Amino acid sequence: MRYIKLQKEKAPVVKNVVWALKLILKTDKRLPMSALLMQFSSSFFHVYVKNILFLKTLLTVIDSRGDFSQYIKYLLMFLAVSVLCEALSWYGSYVNYSSVKVVLKKLNNLIFRKALSLDVANYEDPQFYDKYQRATDITDRGYFHILCNSVASIFGTVFSLILVIITVIQVNPLYLLFTLPSTAVFAVELAKSRKLYKRDLAMTGNERVKAYIKRTVFLREYSKDMRTSNIFLVMMKRFEAAVKTNIMIYKEYGFPLFIYSTVSSFFSEFLPTVGTYALAGGQFIYTDTMTISAFSVVISSINSVNRAANSLVSAFNNISQLALYFSNLREFFDYEPGVNSGEEIPGEFESLEFRNVSFRYLGAETDSLKNVSFTLNKGEKLAVVGLNGAGKTTLVKLMMRFYDPTEGEILYNGRNIKEFDIEKYRLLFGAVFQDYKNFALSVNENVICRVCDDSDRAFAEEAMKNSGAWDKISTLPDKGETVLTKEFDKNGVGLSGGENQKLSTARLFAHDFEIAVLDEPSSALDPVAEYKMYDNLVRATEGKSVVYISHRLSSAVLSDRIIVLDGGSIAERGNHTELLALGGIYAEMFNHQAEAYGKAEVG
Amino acid sequence: MNKIKNTTSMIGHMIYFVRLMFSISPVFVILELIYGLLLRVPGRLISVLGMKYIIDVVESGENLERIWIGVGVIAAILVISHLLSWLYMEFYWNIAKEKLSAGLCKKLYEKAREIDLEEYDNPDFYNNFILTIETSADNIQNLLGFVRNYFTEFVTFFTIGAVIFTIDPICLLIIVVTVIVFLPFSGIVGNLHMGRRKDNAELHHRSDYFQRIFYLQDYAKEVRMNNISPLLINRYNEAADAVIENQNKYWKKISFFSGLQETGIDVLGLMFVLPAYLGYCVLLKHNIGAGDFVASFNGAYQIAISIEFLTVTALMVFSERGKMIEKYREFLACTPKIKGGEETASCEKPETIEIRNLSFTYPGSDHPVLKNINLTIKPYEKIALVGYNGAGKTTLTNLLLRLYEASDGEILIGGKNIKDVTLESHKNRFAAVFQDFQTYACTIGENVALDVNPDKDRVTQALKHSGFSKSLKNGVDTEILREFDESGTMLSGGESQKMAVSRAFYKDCPYAILDEPSANLDPIAEYELNKTMLEAAEHKTVIFISHRLSTTVGADKIYVMADGEIIESGSHAELMEKNGTYAYMFNLQAEKYRQDNKQNS
Repeated sequence: MRYIKLQKEKAPVVKNVVWALKLILKTDKRLPMSALLMQFSSSFFHVYVKNILFLKTLLTVIDSRGDFSQYIKYLLMFLAVSVLCEALSWYGSYVNYSSVKVVLKKLNNLIFRKALSLDVANYEDPQFYDKYQRATDITDRGYFHILCNSVASIFGTVFSLILVIITVIQVNPLYLLFTLPSTAVFAVELAKSRKLYKRDLAMTGNERVKAYIKRTVFLREYSKDMRTSNIFLVMMKRFEAAVKTNIMIYKEYGFPLFIYSTVSSFFSEFLPTVGTYALAGGQFIYTDTMTISAFSVVISSINSVNRAANSLVSAFNNISQLALYFSNLREFFDYEPGVNSGEEIPGEFESLEFRNVSFRYLGAETDSLKNVSFTLNKGEKLAVVGLNGAGKTTLVKLMMRFYDPTEGEILYNGRNIKEFDIEKYRLLFGAVFQDYKNFALSVNENVICRVCDDSDRAFAEEAMKNSGAWDKISTLPDKGETVLTKEFDKNGVGLSGGENQKLSTARLFAHDFEIAVLDEPSSALDPVAEYKMYDNLVRATEGKSVVYISHRLSSAVLSDRIIVLDGGSIAERGNHTELLALGGIYAEMFNHQAEAYGKAEVG
Repeated sequence: MNKIKNTTSMIGHMIYFVRLMFSISPVFVILELIYGLLLRVPGRLISVLGMKYIIDVVESGENLERIWIGVGVIAAILVISHLLSWLYMEFYWNIAKEKLSAGLCKKLYEKAREIDLEEYDNPDFYNNFILTIETSADNIQNLLGFVRNYFTEFVTFFTIGAVIFTIDPICLLIIVVTVIVFLPFSGIVGNLHMGRRKDNAELHHRSDYFQRIFYLQDYAKEVRMNNISPLLINRYNEAADAVIENQNKYWKKISFFSGLQETGIDVLGLMFVLPAYLGYCVLLKHNIGAGDFVASFNGAYQIAISIEFLTVTALMVFSERGKMIEKYREFLACTPKIKGGEETASCEKPETIEIRNLSFTYPGSDHPVLKNINLTIKPYEKIALVGYNGAGKTTLTNLLLRLYEASDGEILIGGKNIKDVTLESHKNRFAAVFQDFQTYACTIGENVALDVNPDKDRVTQALKHSGFSKSLKNGVDTEILREFDESGTMLSGGESQKMAVSRAFYKDCPYAILDEPSANLDPIAEYELNKTMLEAAEHKTVIFISHRLSTTVGADKIYVMADGEIIESGSHAELMEKNGTYAYMFNLQAEKYRQDNKQNS
């Protein structure tokens, strides 16, 4: 089991486990039920019947030199009981392992739906993301399964332990003095595992360094630096240092762990074995109260109690660690979106107004947007310009309600955008992001965003023709039905950056939107490809209202209005000619770019 | 037949592995085996012989005090074996394991660095090989534990087997026959598990992809702006249903066969046939005593477990882990195709670079990326490579760096073929800033130097030249990224780019290659960089690739590439004069600015 970061406040284990079991019961009752069946039948059979009762019964007959047919009768009885127990545990394991994937599916569905209801802002919050990560560990690593089985194993073990104790008491309660302390080892083992956990925690930093270095050595993205520079030596220096500190930590923890282990061995192996043998020996030598079958009971009980103690230790260990994961899942489910949906259905677009909008990211020390006001009217083309980090992307995120403003309001047709149904509101926008994503679905599904029927397919083709994507897609054997990426289809197709962008643009053509938001692609494209792409975007948005996020100024020139962001506030506004005349930031940026091109004209 | 052959080769791999471990740390290997004996075997012998001894004494009815000798021996064995094994575990084992693992990793890392870059482009090689090694690199030493257990079980089988054999050979025969009859089911179960895991892995691959979409930050915006989430959830559920069906199919058989095996060996064999025979001997034939009865009965379980481990479990581990070792072996045996020469390249000052009839085709492709390139770069020249996406610009610089081997033609520096000098010295004369530059989780100084012990003043200077202006709390020693330092400094796209560019300024070498050095910069930063780049790299030959043609204007010579060939070359003015592809591209980009200049003038 992977260790997790130590949390400051101790998670209330029982509360979290009860919550987790309730959640699992809601998804599929068969999983916990079958776990109980498995654990009960197997501890009853292995710990009690097979290990103690069987030998005791046979030795009773043998010791008294009894009747062989009676002996065989006992054997047949045990055969019947054993087969029954075995059958129950097969059935249990079958149900257990087949229901596990059902629970997995249902839990994941719950997680997806929760994730979808949350804000993009949550994804940027490392604390939330950590919780989400651990929530997915519960499903990915099957922790919910381990939890069920561990809880069931506690019940099963306690049950069999009681049977063992009763049997030993029938021989002589004194023996419990030697065997029962091994259940107390449980406490030593827990302390030891806490120590181990601390040791591993002390090493997590080093392990992370080692894992990171392994990544840099093997992964493709680092391969060129590894071969053309000495960064490998930097990495190896850190690797050596991590190994060295790990060894020091091992040394530091060596002695206390040795003590724990030895104490634990003393109580679980030495004391029960030597004590039981000695007491039984004494009884044999000095009294005539001991029989061979009773001797077999007390000796076998050492093993049974030990086994029970071990499974208790591992069950408690598992549970206390898993509780933390489940408390994370619980907190994940408790997250409430900060951006809540209203109920109004937005009407046809007339205007979008930012009124004194300020915004500060969670935990940030300064505002990313300060008192921004502007209006976008129907049919207008607005360019948002600024240096790296001036707040352009933040402005767009607010516009689409990925965040709500810290101060001020955004009005759609004069009404606060918070009043509208959020899904319907977002569908008003046709957005092409700089970091656009396509999915490992068919080309048509990527364009239309749902399972496609024939009319959808025709529609998708039309949209791709408009965006220029069809040039490439029409050459593929399955055309629009081709699956993107080789992720899980050998015949899948990987598209180049430009083609992917055209496909995203096709999505724009295929949807009825009121306002286009175009986050311009950066300069990975050659000048001709870039020009064509720009041309495509202009055609896709003809006659619509458009917001351009411009990194280069080419699109700003043609827009109706430009706002220049500087450090989160609007520094300049106006059209291209006005801003050039103003001689501010915009003019400086433009002239720097124009200078080189201008020089050429002179030359 | 095939299976047997397979098994022998797997055993060969295991032997290779043990020898490898032995060569790294012989003491550790020997101690591991002794440890296995110390911890497991005494306990098992006590459970078989301890009870027998006492019952025998009791049955004999004489000299009952002999029991104390037995108890004393048991106590002594337990004390010695436990103390020794814990001393070994807590004071030696962990540390030896850490060292062994580090030794193995270093072997692999050195190798990984040598492997030809073209292997990384081969998805089969990359996914099935490099990534497998990556995930198993430090796990491989866990196999030593398996070897230890194998040895322990082997010894257990023979010692306890011998005890039972001396009591009654038929008992041993019954145990061995039962195990042999029912053990094949265990093999079936193993195969079913393997099939299940394989099928599930494929199906999970699909469901995991959809799961990732909801989890990854990159998709968060896209998923919220479209109505695509129902489709994605639907696809996830389809994949998850396939997993459920697969799981049902396999577990029905798995639980049946494993139940059959357990019932056969544990219940039918050891709880019925064996005790029936023993009962017959004790009660009717009277040739066995109660002590022997108990010893045979308890020993039988031990032997059954040992046999299963030595055969079925071992075979499964052999075939699974054997494959891992096989890959590991192959990996270490890889020899790079790109080899250095004998001579040491001069790193003093730039010399003429001459590229003659250079052609290159990526392995597995039939489309040449470079066709018969000829060009000469004079010392201190600033060269720009421009052209369409996929024209071969980056490939050309990769060949110059010897990251790939040219299919045809040669590259000479100072009249000497670059194949004739050592890879190390060739690497030392170039500073390269790649388009997909990486930021490393180490100090900013190390990030700029890409080397240990960076020169602080020169790092500061290089950062200044690239226009890097972020204030750093620990100066050059500031840790970058939060990979393992929560308070590490994060760089924005623009700052990372500037940091990467300063690598070219820092490195004291005659040649610099910069691929799209201003891609992430805003117009003002780009302008500044253009100005400083030329003066900071005054004493170097510079080759840079750019799509923003405003940055190429100042280059001494511009090469325009299309489809693997150089179609135009000359200074900016010459190329504009020529009015070819360069002029066309330049005008496309300059259009807006020019129109505007006219408006203004």
